[in-house]
Amino acid sequence: MPTASAAPAHRPMDLLDRLASPDPDIKLKALREVKNQIIGNRTKKLAFLKLGAIPTVASILAEADSQLADGDVSIVDKNSDYYNNNIIIQSAAALGSFACGFDAGVRAVLDAGALPYLIRLLSNSDEKVVDASARSLRMIYQSKLTPKYEFLQDKNMEFLLSLLNSESENVTGLGASIITHSCETIVEQKSLCDAGVLNKLLSLLDGSLSQRDASLESMAALFRNNPEVISKFLGPENGRALSSIIGLTKDRYPRTRLLACMCLIVIRNSSSCYLKDIGIKTKLVYLLLELLDDPGQVGDEAPFVFSSLITEKEDVQKLAFEANALDKFLNHLQNSQLHPKRFQGILLALADMCSKLESCRSRFLSMEVLNSVTDALSHDSADVRTAACICIRSVTRSIKNLCAGYFMNEVLVVPLVQLLNDPLASVQVAALGAISNILVDFTRGKSTFVQCGGVKQLIQLSKSMDSAVRLNALWALKNMVFLADDRFKQGIFMEFTASLLTSLICDHDACVQEQAFAFVRNLIDGSINSVEYVFAENGIILDAVRKQLESTSKAEIGIQGMYVLGNVASGNEFHKEAVMQQLLSQVNNETQSFIIKFLQSNDSRLRTAAVWAVVNLTFPSSPGAFCRLVKLRSAGVVPQIRNMVNDPCLDVKLRVRTVLSQAMTFGDGLS
Amino acid sequence: MSLFWIVIRHLAEFEAMATSKKVITREEWEKKLNDVKIRKSDMNKLVMNFLVTEGYVDAAEKFRIESGTEPDIDLATITDRMAVKKAVQSGNVEDAIEKVNDLNPEILDTNPQLFFHLQQQRLIELIRNGKVEEALEFAQEELAPRGEENQSFLEELERTVALLAFEDVTNCPVGELLDISQRLKTASEVNAAILSSQSHEKDPKLPSLLKMLMWAQNQLDEKAAYPRINNISTAILEDPSV
Repeated sequence: MPTASAAPAHRPMDLLDRLASPDPDIKLKALREVKNQIIGNRTKKLAFLKLGAIPTVASILAEADSQLADGDVSIVDKNSDYYNNNIIIQSAAALGSFACGFDAGVRAVLDAGALPYLIRLLSNSDEKVVDASARSLRMIYQSKLTPKYEFLQDKNMEFLLSLLNSESENVTGLGASIITHSCETIVEQKSLCDAGVLNKLLSLLDGSLSQRDASLESMAALFRNNPEVISKFLGPENGRALSSIIGLTKDRYPRTRLLACMCLIVIRNSSSCYLKDIGIKTKLVYLLLELLDDPGQVGDEAPFVFSSLITEKEDVQKLAFEANALDKFLNHLQNSQLHPKRFQGILLALADMCSKLESCRSRFLSMEVLNSVTDALSHDSADVRTAACICIRSVTRSIKNLCAGYFMNEVLVVPLVQLLNDPLASVQVAALGAISNILVDFTRGKSTFVQCGGVKQLIQLSKSMDSAVRLNALWALKNMVFLADDRFKQGIFMEFTASLLTSLICDHDACVQEQAFAFVRNLIDGSINSVEYVFAENGIILDAVRKQLESTSKAEIGIQGMYVLGNVASGNEFHKEAVMQQLLSQVNNETQSFIIKFLQSNDSRLRTAAVWAVVNLTFPSSPGAFCRLVKLRSAGVVPQIRNMVNDPCLDVKLRVRTVLSQAMTFGDGLS
Repeated sequence: MSLFWIVIRHLAEFEAMATSKKVITREEWEKKLNDVKIRKSDMNKLVMNFLVTEGYVDAAEKFRIESGTEPDIDLATITDRMAVKKAVQSGNVEDAIEKVNDLNPEILDTNPQLFFHLQQQRLIELIRNGKVEEALEFAQEELAPRGEENQSFLEELERTVALLAFEDVTNCPVGELLDISQRLKTASEVNAAILSSQSHEKDPKLPSLLKMLMWAQNQLDEKAAYPRINNISTAILEDPSV
């Protein structure tokens, strides 16, 4: 069949040639066609990007801009002004579209240096040029890749105010977008507030739909974690502001309702004296659950806002539970075509719901959604995989179900272990978090996990370059050896080796050190056989422990280290003497022994751990106890403990008295 | 809308006394209706809202002059919007897309569903005109990538391409895509998106007000017999059949 199209679309390559044409008419038409081809079409954006179209369009914009600027003085050619204006409008629109929802595009637009030109065009006399530039800039400022607008520099604040005061809806919207994009620090929030930006934003709340939305979003940026700005704005003389935001939660437009909720939540989370009453909290819960039903972007974002409402807030979690939030989220999970963003949000919201309340976890488990969440572990999107891990971590906090061995099954464990191979460290860390909880399984042994190669994986990850991965791998291993039997520990230690463990104890990241100590503490807890592990390879582990304890300033490391020594000291005579050596090896030097330092610490947990070690060293029925007591006395340890009989912490006081009564059994010759 | 609340209030009054069905005579009813004061300017706004939203730009202009009611939107933008709508209705989808992009490039860039439906309509028009090769190429190059991004788009695309498989498209299971109603559907979707981008409501208030009227009458039917409006276009009160 003969086909004849009126104006066949040009191939990207041909269009690029036409963009270079000296004929303004051809150039303009080509620009417009590029724009029309890329709008809404990610594939085309990428195709043009690869051909280098973005720098070409940016330079056309720059050229037209400078010709226009010259034209004002010399050339009086209406025709050329017409072309230049239209070329600017089309190229600005094209650049904005390249930057719309497309990170590579934003980067290319920025690299092409288009930003300053577009900003300059905001002062153009042609309304359409201004609108096109403002729209384009708004797209660019929606991306995280765009450099921060420096409010505090030169005349930037003045310029921003001029945008907010503009007659054009697009320009005021741009002003608000810039605030949302770039306002981060307390100093910035305060100076924007002092410049009167908040009152301007408040007046925009009465404006058009897009102005209202932009204003709500930037208000939230100004309020975030800044109680001073909030109280200044919502103070007694400005009660109207809060009620207008509350009013917008009932708005006709879902996006406006969502942003109003978000703004209120930011206020509540940043400043405890607002929105305390249960009525508004319940209202927010219901509003956000309702917004979840929106089929578009609003529904995708609603669960994230919901999370920010309930996270760490047990009372609101309870309200949400009572509002059947779980059922609602689970219903959405049944939808197989869930947008990844929404999927991620719902999983995170479920994680928050189950983070504290056992009632939520029970309901969650009774509804058998765990399967959908487990499926999400192999989702294409890394964000969804991560969120699924976080959700599982939250649910597996349920001690009741852990004890029942509910989670130690292949369906759950195998995909989690597979995620330990994930190319992204953030996914690995999340998977380790979930695994850590599941491994605190008292009854079943840890066989399922071992069988699918989990232990090898964990040890491998404890050598990762990423310290968060090392930390979480150690955390999981620590939970794994907790109350485990000797044979199991033996297997793990063989795999781990003393030298790897030593290098982790000496890790440059203090949090990794702490977990390494905690792992050793759990490893050697229990039988005398397991105490032997710290003596492997000429006792390199024990030496490393001492070195770290001598140098650390972090209480948490001291605590775990002292429990390691305390556990070793619970062993046989040889073990106890080895601990004595570590404790007193330094006394001859000028510096203070670390155990004295710990006994004098302000942290009662550290004092407890330190006294515990002494309790174990001086246990009266062991043959060398008296001798050790004498040595500890002359090293100043016993006198220090004697000073602590009335320690304000009951735990410490009890152990101190144990030491002293053990000393009493050897007679009074020690005081 | 205040009219709605008046009806609701009346309903509540009846509810209070209704145990058996109350009969309300025409005189009583008309007296009650006369007691309801509705400002002329509110009625005018309602009419203007309808004309603007539906895009009757000439009528809106005349009505503005005659009644002095100011539209809440620049009437010039209606002309642009109607040009887009008309282009889709007459099958010039490409032209419509270009016009929308000139109006506001954000509309199609931030509304993937609408963009897909317009592209789908373009495909339908190609098939309608028997441009098989062009249609296939277009489906492959422009629409297939959208289907990869979104499962439900893929299903719609498959349905549309199925048109090519039938000799007699008018009698095939997906034949309704070629129907004029499909064009109207797409056109009204574009119309709504443009209105939203102009911060204007996408539906006129009048039809929903009429729906409320019907709903309120249905509620009232359970409590009372009264002169009813059965034909909305004439709005004649018809005596109850008692």
